[in-house]
Amino acid sequence: MQKGYVIKRILYTIFIFFIVVTLNFFIPRIGVEDPAERYYPPQGNMTDVEYDIVKQLTREQYGFDVSTFQQYIRYLNDLFHGDLGTSFQAGSPKVADLIASRIPWTLVLSVSTLLIGLFLGLLIGSYAAWKRGQRVDTAVLNASTITTALPAFFIALLLSLYLGFEWELFPAYTDPNMVASFDWSWRSISLVASSAALPIISMAIGSVVSYAQNTRNSVIAVSNEDFILTARAKGLPSRQVLYKHTLRNAMLPIVTNLGMSVSGLIGGSVVIEQIFNWNGMGTLFLNANNTNDYPLMMGIMLFLSLFALAANLVTDLCYCLLDPRVTVGGSR
Amino acid sequence: MKRRLHTGGRRLGGLLLSAVLLNGVLLAAGCSGGAYERRGDTSSTLYIGEVASSFPTSYMPWFSRDGIAPTIANMVYSTLFDYDENTGVYTPRLANSWYYVDKEGNPIVTEDGRVDYDRLEEVYGGSDSAFFPVRFELNPDATWSDGTPVTVEDIYFTYDLAANQKVSNHAGALAWVNDLLHKYDTNTGVMKRQGIYTYDHGAAQAGYAISEEEKDTVFYFEVSKVLGAITPLVSTVLILPKHIYGPIVSAENPLNNTDPDEALSYAYSHPVGCGPFTLDAEATNSQEIVLHRRKDFYIKAKDGSDLYKVDTLKFILYQEINVAIYALKKGHLDVLDSSISANYASLFENEESVRLMKAPGTFTQTLVFNLNAPTDRVTPERTLLSDVRIRKAIALAVDQQQLIQNVLNGEGRPVSAGLIMETMPDLYNPESDILAGDTDEKLAEANAILDEICPTKDEAGYRYTEDGVKLSFEILGSPGEQEAISFLQVLLQKIGVEVKFAAKGNSPETTYLYGGNFDMTIQGVTFSLSNIDTMYNAHFSNLNRSSNYGRLQDEAINAKITEMRQTINLNKKYEAVKELQLLTAQQYYKIPLYCSNVLSVARTDRFTGWEQEDGSTAFNLKSLENLQMV
Amino acid sequence: MKRFFSRLGSALWDALKGIGRFVAKLWAHPKGRIGLIIAGLLVICAVFAPPIAPYAPYDVTPRAEKGLSPSWAHPLGTTITTGQDIFSMLIYGTRVSLVVGITTGLATAFLGALMGVLTGYVGGFVDMLVMRIVDIMLVIPTLPLTIVLTNLFGKSYFMIIFIFTLFGWTGLARVVRSQVLVLKNSNYVRAAELAGAKRSHIMFRHILPGVSHLLIMSTALTSAGIMVAEAGLSFLGLGDPTAISWGKMLADAQSGGALLFGHWWWIMAPGIGIFLSVFAFMRIGLAMEEIFNPRMKQSSGLYKLFKNLNNTYLQEVFDSMEEDRLEEKVKPEPTEEREPAGVS
Repeated sequence: MQKGYVIKRILYTIFIFFIVVTLNFFIPRIGVEDPAERYYPPQGNMTDVEYDIVKQLTREQYGFDVSTFQQYIRYLNDLFHGDLGTSFQAGSPKVADLIASRIPWTLVLSVSTLLIGLFLGLLIGSYAAWKRGQRVDTAVLNASTITTALPAFFIALLLSLYLGFEWELFPAYTDPNMVASFDWSWRSISLVASSAALPIISMAIGSVVSYAQNTRNSVIAVSNEDFILTARAKGLPSRQVLYKHTLRNAMLPIVTNLGMSVSGLIGGSVVIEQIFNWNGMGTLFLNANNTNDYPLMMGIMLFLSLFALAANLVTDLCYCLLDPRVTVGGSR
Repeated sequence: MKRRLHTGGRRLGGLLLSAVLLNGVLLAAGCSGGAYERRGDTSSTLYIGEVASSFPTSYMPWFSRDGIAPTIANMVYSTLFDYDENTGVYTPRLANSWYYVDKEGNPIVTEDGRVDYDRLEEVYGGSDSAFFPVRFELNPDATWSDGTPVTVEDIYFTYDLAANQKVSNHAGALAWVNDLLHKYDTNTGVMKRQGIYTYDHGAAQAGYAISEEEKDTVFYFEVSKVLGAITPLVSTVLILPKHIYGPIVSAENPLNNTDPDEALSYAYSHPVGCGPFTLDAEATNSQEIVLHRRKDFYIKAKDGSDLYKVDTLKFILYQEINVAIYALKKGHLDVLDSSISANYASLFENEESVRLMKAPGTFTQTLVFNLNAPTDRVTPERTLLSDVRIRKAIALAVDQQQLIQNVLNGEGRPVSAGLIMETMPDLYNPESDILAGDTDEKLAEANAILDEICPTKDEAGYRYTEDGVKLSFEILGSPGEQEAISFLQVLLQKIGVEVKFAAKGNSPETTYLYGGNFDMTIQGVTFSLSNIDTMYNAHFSNLNRSSNYGRLQDEAINAKITEMRQTINLNKKYEAVKELQLLTAQQYYKIPLYCSNVLSVARTDRFTGWEQEDGSTAFNLKSLENLQMV
Repeated sequence: MKRFFSRLGSALWDALKGIGRFVAKLWAHPKGRIGLIIAGLLVICAVFAPPIAPYAPYDVTPRAEKGLSPSWAHPLGTTITTGQDIFSMLIYGTRVSLVVGITTGLATAFLGALMGVLTGYVGGFVDMLVMRIVDIMLVIPTLPLTIVLTNLFGKSYFMIIFIFTLFGWTGLARVVRSQVLVLKNSNYVRAAELAGAKRSHIMFRHILPGVSHLLIMSTALTSAGIMVAEAGLSFLGLGDPTAISWGKMLADAQSGGALLFGHWWWIMAPGIGIFLSVFAFMRIGLAMEEIFNPRMKQSSGLYKLFKNLNNTYLQEVFDSMEEDRLEEKVKPEPTEEREPAGVS
């Protein structure tokens, strides 16, 4: 039963993969007769003859001189060799190289946020569930409304203004050389930590409250279930009741939540990165947008989609293992 | 039960506390390193802030896009001469001198060494010769950064490469050498005509005298019979080393390569140039570029000492101007290579070691009318704009002083309607300043003109023609121009014309203006001695993909432009330009709005001697010559 | 003709009465009252912006000095870059937020309801096709796609509303779908089917009213979420550059140097605006949920908002659990509903 489901899921993922890749191929070509003009816009002081030569060179360079179908095949072929295209940036770096160099930095922010969110969220959530109805609980409930209404980038700006520029507790901006001069020395690591503190705090506030909420709700929901009452009636020590039964069952929705947020690990911090000039995927994408660097933009889009796809697949399969009820056509 | 949870909670709380403490320790440790490099640096190193989205990852010697790459290239490589656009002076770099020669090989110069244009016209004015021969003498001391001397072989190699776009893969290079009559058949690659002659490459056969001693330093060009032709040839083409690129570059492995092989990659990242600086390949990365001064540089200052006194240049990348300004304020930079807006002036008022400098700009922002839209883009409003009286009325209503005061906080200056600035006395024609005058009088005149054509107004005060077309236009602009357009709204409301902001870039048609899908737009123009040939053609005459977006087609102007380009007497050429200014001003096609000053900041606590040239920031080659350590 | 108008008129009158009753219910609820008051104030600000705002932001002639601190003349100071009065810009900013938020909320509700009812009631091939399309859409990340599309087709709020609607209807559709599956088996629907009523008639007269409370709630909560998202997009510069929006004010504050100069008022003002608008709509949505579904009273706002905006696995889990449970509702209910994973 399980194996059939797994195979079906993987095949389905591959099918979606092809559709996403095809969409990614066609989006920049929509409504444009000559993609070369988009890739090399005319400069004001170029004569017509020169511009035609430039366009022809651009076409050859980016492969527009063959038919669309051939381009598509070449695109797929490059993709299977791991080549996501060549960026317009000076020096023509490969898109895959740029992405690879920026991902670890984005992960520093998002994984830290995730861990802090989980950690503190579980702690606060279980405490609030324990003290249901009292002040802690209502405080947590209200906090959730407030943190949803205050977007993370607004909090980031305020933190940057006060903690960074005014009181100088943290660096107001990310040292430009932080990425390039990173050599695993104590000094480098501490520099990264102090520069990452503000972005992580801004994102973590919302994350902590969200996880606290989920924990509180699922703990309460599970606590009301019959089997918990049965366990207590049986005379099991309350610690065992809490850890073995309540929390383990309450974790299920949280794990799902976690799984869903994995796909947001890379693409989710675009705005925060922009505020703090953090050298991650977010700023890479925004810069590509500002300079009309189409290969880079579409390469990142493709990468993010494929990452989300893979994350969903893994989450789905993991969830299958965790909760045997959720299987296609599974028996009860 | 509660106790159990508390124990668990306490344990977790303890972990949390230790995490916070750890971060605090890291913070404290981090405070002592990284960005604060400059504060402790006592060596002769200049820290320059650049605001860009990225730095190049490798350095192809010829670049067609902007950013910092051309700046670096110009410091690592050299051209034959440097050309000052305001004074018209050619400063020797790789070459010491150039002159037109007559048929016997004698230079056509006056007694004080300048070009004798009258004699030039005499010798070559007739139609029996299609080109000018020009004789060059290289600086015999010029060397590449690896010690090899620079010879005419390098020159020949470079210009040959530039003209052969299959091997250079760089269409811009083709434009640079357009006027060198060194032509390849672009289809077959076969040379049709050679435009450069050295001792070993056909000088004797062509009749150009080069003696045995001069063979490494003298060469001849054959240049199109246009006066401006020599300037881009000598001041934009960066000379490449033949001994480096010669063995590597070919049609299969062109110079401008997005997929270079190993040898070419190495040449890109370890450039060997004949300029005053070398690139430190090991210290350079995607956030920082390091240049070292060549101690053996062959050009010296007037007193014989080194031309530049700064040993190392470090360019640091910042993504945003605010961050860069903050960095400068905190002392992490010596100078910012970007101009800053006048709004930031108050930040530096009380800073002792920061100098805020101003210099006049060189770009004029103009309001351009679309007066001859292509047939599929004609609208009733654009038809209105083809009437020169309406354009004149709008031009009269534009008050440059008010715009400068409100939009630029006073940091700018008005420009004559002929679009050439007073700082260029050779070109400037004071008669073309037809839009100067008292504001009220100009408004009255504008209203009078419009009263004749469209006297009817609606309730808001905007005019209508008899056919019911409202004088309402859209100005295509970028978000930064919204302020200026808002003020234009107010100014033009006084004569009953409505203008609105339309965002540029919503679609390809509104981004690439040559399609003609706009009413008015704001465009920056710059005219100088070096570019009048191309600029006048591009802005006022050429209908193809040039800057003549409004498609002006005036016979008198076209004729004058042709005359100006073809005359080979410089004085006559400047006369033609003066007449052109008046003609273009009278068409009211590109209305000057303002020319903003360039504000730039530099710290004076480590280096002094900052000098800002027109149109540039505090960081320029002139400053570099003057900088001294404190 | 006359009959059509009279039917239309009575339908509208019914709707108005319904809205009136509904607003009264909200007013009675303490949380709902706060939400209504704030939302009401915001709507008034949006509609009557010109008389309320002391200075017209687009008017350049009375421009004050740039970068002023708050004072009596300018309660929130002026911007550094253009000298506009920040308080007036705040008032005008309500327009963009409310229009984008409410329009998207309504459009999402409409589309979600349509798709939910269709797939739930018709089922079969339509169901499978729509769910596959939804799977593809879920994989493509929304923010980068928005950036790419605004680059290709121009920056405007219409584009933003379009993209949000396109990607936002999936969550509601699933919830509606599961609800429709319940209703499908109810007696009165079965009766209508037996009586020979057309499918479309059943869908719109019987099933849709059954999910109407979901739609209304979803509109409010989605609007709240969209307002935050729109602020984020405007902050990145993807909205109309001529419109005044809170997100754009924050972006201008950052690029204009408010951080450098320490002008906290320029940053606080739009932030408070965003906070109030989202808070108000969330309160309304939560109050509605508590009114319609008293059991949910203990659950929190974020949880419900989350459920509404969540597009993937959490919802699928709930659905799959509910679907199976629903199918069993027709049969006698088993004694042990849930088997926990790992009881000793």
